[in-house]
This record gives sequence, structure tokens and C-alpha cells, in this order.
Amino acid sequence: MIKIINVSKWFGTHRVLNNINEEIHQGQVVVICGPSGSGKSTLLKSLNGLEPFQEGDIVVDGVSLKDPSTNLMQLRQKMGMVFQRFELYPHLKVIDNITIAPIKVKNIPKKQAEEKAVQLLERVGIPEQAQKYPGNLSGGQQQRVAIARALAMEPEIMLFDEPTSALDPEMIKEVLDVMIDLAKSGMTMAVVTHEMGFAREVADEIIFMDEGQIIERGTDKSFFSDPKTERAKDFLSKILI
Amino acid sequence: MGAFDWTVIIKNMPFFMKGLLTTFELALVAISGGLFFGMLVGMARLSHIKLIYYPATIFVNFFRSLPLLLVIFWFYFLVPIIAGRPLGDFVSASVAFVVFEAAYFAEIVRAGIQSISKGQEQAAYSTGFTYAQTMRYIILPQAMRNMVPSLITQTVVVFQDTSLAYVIGLKEFLRSASIVDAREMKSLEIYAFIGLVYFIFCFVMSRFSKKLEAKRGAAK
Ligand SMILES: Nc1ncnc2c1ncn2[C@@H]1O[C@H](COP(=O)(O)OP(=O)(O)O)[C@@H](O)[C@H]1O
Ligand SMILES: [Mg+2]
Repeated sequence: MIKIINVSKWFGTHRVLNNINEEIHQGQVVVICGPSGSGKSTLLKSLNGLEPFQEGDIVVDGVSLKDPSTNLMQLRQKMGMVFQRFELYPHLKVIDNITIAPIKVKNIPKKQAEEKAVQLLERVGIPEQAQKYPGNLSGGQQQRVAIARALAMEPEIMLFDEPTSALDPEMIKEVLDVMIDLAKSGMTMAVVTHEMGFAREVADEIIFMDEGQIIERGTDKSFFSDPKTERAKDFLSKILI
Repeated sequence: MGAFDWTVIIKNMPFFMKGLLTTFELALVAISGGLFFGMLVGMARLSHIKLIYYPATIFVNFFRSLPLLLVIFWFYFLVPIIAGRPLGDFVSASVAFVVFEAAYFAEIVRAGIQSISKGQEQAAYSTGFTYAQTMRYIILPQAMRNMVPSLITQTVVVFQDTSLAYVIGLKEFLRSASIVDAREMKSLEIYAFIGLVYFIFCFVMSRFSKKLEAKRGAAK
């Protein structure tokens, strides 16, 4: 479904992605972890063309991101994205946060979009918050709205960039539960996270990045029980208390 | 106060009001036109495309380094040449003000857009929005809120600056005063009145701006 082929990216002279190769198949959940600054966000954002890359190619459903004639707007409709800092639109009510893209991008009638939004809010467990502004919600609630907003476009793939790392500990579970549900429903997912409980439960593959490279990959079991590189061992010992 | 004759103000009130109306009209055109083009230029100033960025940047820096009076004169002579016929002092002044103010509004808009985090833009793009949709539905509505105090300040400045159109003979508020003064010879009274009106308008606007800012501060 997603093929990352020899992708490299530089910010100026700083190489932030170094020959990345990876395949994500339909229905798979891939967890990406690694120290801060290792290029995880950059990799995720290059998947939907938010970050351009200089070398290699990324192919989503047969569509090449390198090809200048590719319509990024169309491609992004297939890929929902959830951000570390939620990035809800503060000037719009929760319901409008969810419906604005379906209405403006897909030309879905307002009423129909709102019905769908209410269903999605039920799915993420906060139907009663529809008429509030994001600023009046807790972090966990905001992140669940953000997931609903992404799902409203009916994506085939969901990208998560550290969705729980800006949350207070007591709110992490409510967001992870929604993500686990989503994974179990067969959604294809690429998730940057250090929540190893989540990885154990739903990840089909875990990749470990350091300095712009994937230096280790494995299933959840092999990765946790038998990391091969020193960096991964070191990293795991820090996050698995 | 015996030496002052305030009846001259009352007597000429309809004439003053006509001048004031012209001032308001010119200010309205300058602000709405300046804001509209300023928005386009402000967005262009943030473009990664050189062919868009450079002309916009040159435009802004050019007009921001010229005195308004010069620009007013300039368009007074230029507009009839471009149009091929005289269009009157109001149209010339309007064009001059819109172009000049667009350069200032552009900088306000640019700062307003830059005050919104990059994440908002990325969130919008990630749902399939185009650049125009991202600006219209997500970035500009938020940026406008942040811009309100600067926009009001600029509105006050524009209102005061419209008096410069006096030099090309436009019968705005200040010009109406000088016309009355030439006839009545009551400079002190007339200019005191004119000054008071400018002051009241500007004072009210700046109070309004402070109130809005306090309200925004409280909402945060
Ligand atoms: N817009 C940018 N300009 C320059 N350097 C950047 C930019 N964004 C990220 N970087 C750099 O790229 C590297 C990878 O960043 P990022 O992908 O955010 O890492 P991670 O998500 O793994 O913490 C970091 O060294 C970071 O400083
Ligand atoms: Mg990151």
C-alpha cells in the first residue's frame, strides 16, 4: 500500500532521512520509534507530501510522490493524520472541525457530513462535546476529536505522530483505546510512538530509527525480547521502566 | 472666550459635514481596498515561489519608503494617463491610498499569518485542502483575530492621512475647513473644531481597540 524506496532528505546540509526503505501493507500497523530528532516526524510527513524529499520515491497505492504531476490534494484524502499537538482549529466548534474537510474538499452536503461527524464522535466516545470549542476540551478529548476529524475523510491509511506524548498520563489510555480499536478494525496505520504497550498489542512491525536511518526492524516480539543493535537496547532500557 | 465666534462652525456645518463624508468615503475605500490587496500581497510575501515573493517584497519595500504625499501627487498625474481621461480627484486619491495602504496592510497580514503555527497549515493540508482553502477557512480567520489591534491602529492612521488628499484639491474634511476659513477668516475656531473631530474619532477607535485587546486577553 505504501512503498518507501531509498528516500533521503536534507534540511540544508543536514541529512535527516538517510536511505529509508520500508513497505506498509494493507491492514498493517507499523510502529516507528527512536530518539528525538531521529527523523520520525519528517518520515511520517513525507508520506503524505507535507515534507518534500530530495532522493528516492514514495509510492502510495501505485501513485508516486516524486512524480510532479501527482495531485497531492487527492492523495492526502486517502491518508488521515494525527499530530502530537492535536492541531484542532481553535476558531471552529468540534463538529465543524470534523465536517469542514468533507464539506469543502469532498462536497458532501452539510447535513450528511454532520450526521457522520456525530457517529465519529460516538466512536471516539465524546458525542456530548460536539458544540464546544476545542479550547474547552481536555487534551485527551482534543486528540480524540483530531482522530475523528481525520477519519471523517474516510482515509485508507492513518498516520499518527506521537499522538499521546503531549497528554497527561491519565488521558493517554483513552486515546490509545481508540487507536487500538481502529487497528483492530483493519485500518492501515503508521504510528510514531513510544507507547510500547500499544506496540505489543497491535503492531505488526516495529522500526527503530536513529539519525535518519532505520537501524532495526522486527515484529513486536523479536524487537522487545531481542534487540540487535546497541542503540535500540539502550533506547528500550530507557523507555521500558 | 469673548473674542471667539463659534457661530461660524454652526453656520457652515452642512459644508463641513460634506467634507467629513468625503473623508470617511476615502478612508473606507483606502481601508477596504488596501486590506484586500494587502491580503494578497501579504500572502505573496510568504510564498516559496520566487516569481511571487520578489515582486510582492519589492512592492512593499518600495511604497513603504515613499512619503504618502508624493504617492498622492504621483497618482494624481499618473491615473489620467493610464485611464486615458481625467477621472477626478477622488478616484486619483483612492487609487493612491489603496496602493500605498496595501503595502502597510500587507505587512500586518504577513505578521498575522506568521502568528499562526505551521501545524495548523499542515493539519489542513493533511485533510486534502488546497492552499486557497487552507488560507480561507483555517489560517486567515485565525490570523485576522490576531491582527485586529494592528488593523484598528492602521485604520486610525489612514483616517488621519486622508487629510493629505487636500493637496490635490479633494474637498475632504480639512479642505472644507480651509475653504470656509478663506471666506470667514476664523482660522482658530475652524481648525480647533476640525482638530476636535479628528481627535474624537481617533480616540474612540483607540479605546475600542484597547477594549478588544483586553477582551481577547481575558478570553485566553
Ligand atoms: N523545518 C526544519 N528545518 C530544519 N531542520 C529541521 C526542520 N524540521 C526538523 N528538522 C531537523 O530534522 C531532524 C529530524 O526531525 P524530526 O523528524 O522532527 O525528528 P523526530 O520526530 O524523530 O523527533 C532534527 O534534527 C530536526 O532538528
Ligand atoms: Mg517528532
